[in-house]
Amino acid sequence: MHVWNFQPVWAHADLLVLGLANTLKVTAAALFFGMPLGLTLALMRLSQAKVFKWPSSLVIEVFRTTPPLVQLFWFFFALPILVNVEMTPYIAAVLTFSIQSAAFFAEVFRAGIESVEKGQREAGQALGMKPAQVMTRVVLPQAIKRMIPAFLERAIELMKTTTLVATVSYADLLFQTNEVAQKTFRPLEVFTVTALIYFSVIFVASKIVNHLEHKFAITGEGTVR
Amino acid sequence: MIHYRWNFAPVWDNLDVLAVGALGTLQLFAICAALGLSLGLFVGWVRYSGSKLPSLLAISFIEFFRNTPVLVQILWFYYALPLLINVDIKPMMAAILGISLNSAAFSAEIYRGGIQSIEKGQWEGAKALGMTLSQALRRVVFPQAFRRMLPALTNRMIEIFKMTTLASAVAYVELLQQGKLLSSLNFNPIETYTVVAIVFFLCLLPLVQATYFLERRLGRSDQ
Repeated sequence: MHVWNFQPVWAHADLLVLGLANTLKVTAAALFFGMPLGLTLALMRLSQAKVFKWPSSLVIEVFRTTPPLVQLFWFFFALPILVNVEMTPYIAAVLTFSIQSAAFFAEVFRAGIESVEKGQREAGQALGMKPAQVMTRVVLPQAIKRMIPAFLERAIELMKTTTLVATVSYADLLFQTNEVAQKTFRPLEVFTVTALIYFSVIFVASKIVNHLEHKFAITGEGTVR
Repeated sequence: MIHYRWNFAPVWDNLDVLAVGALGTLQLFAICAALGLSLGLFVGWVRYSGSKLPSLLAISFIEFFRNTPVLVQILWFYYALPLLINVDIKPMMAAILGISLNSAAFSAEIYRGGIQSIEKGQWEGAKALGMTLSQALRRVVFPQAFRRMLPALTNRMIEIFKMTTLASAVAYVELLQQGKLLSSLNFNPIETYTVVAIVFFLCLLPLVQATYFLERRLGRSDQ
């Protein structure tokens, strides 16, 4: 029977905290770049011009249809040789997860924009607004509100996906867990603690998302997926 | 700007290495999809069985596996579980445990959503015809609910297929793992990983198209 001993884990708690901070850092960076990129891809895909529509459809489909770990490996091992630049695990992770979440966000943006009634655009046009003005002042403000739960849900998915960076040696929470496990010879305790850390952060976040969804449903505004 | 000369010859010469990996991927996918989706049905059923303790256990199971990253689950089964139960756990076993249990938790919620979406009148109609609760579920509610669940279940299968790549983290022989091996032997990560990515894309494309098709079709016929 295994005798549980968490003492060695507490002794290295600082490493785990550093790992958690790095996990949050990658998640935040990917969201920061992924959101505007996702909006751009969505607008390109919705446009009538094929020069915009096709490339954006290609990016969206490729990044939604391949496993994230394959994407990460491609960006980390293949891209630096192709373009002859220095690649760090952090940059590879931010690149991969930004584009990957942009592909998913693009579909959320698209659903949100399409959910705004046609009459709203027409009214905007009737008031003499240009198409870009109709988009930024009339359509997007209404659409974004409906997209908030879908965005947050995706952000949670993203945080779970960031664990993959441990495989290219970026010091996220999972990588640090492995380090501590090797230092202390206590993998059972360390991995259990890490699972509980992820659980508490993600559980609280998804409860907030559920609450928001419920709230929007009550006020009758609805949400998109 | 870019002066890289692509050379796919070393990849073609070693296609058998990748084929071994592809077989490992398909095997893992088949096992995890079958286990995950059927176990999810069981967990979903336990959750709504009415008895307090089993349903509480099912809820904890669902919440725990939905709210932790699947890679953490796989590594936990690989590094931590053997110490707990004093049994040797092979990479394949750890991957099957992590991916199947994760998928069971997610699909349990899909089954629940599908069954809850069926109007109460259908249950009442079946009851009026003298069916027992389980007959009503099997013959009336589930067949209707299944149509509505189909897009979400197909989506889950896509996720399971993508998750199989994580088994490379515990050195299970699957396509990505073989790609890693090949690229370090031949020093050609660009070609190897590009081929691996294309193979995954081509495997998943029919499933993704099927989801789009099902969503459109069921969305139209099923109001």
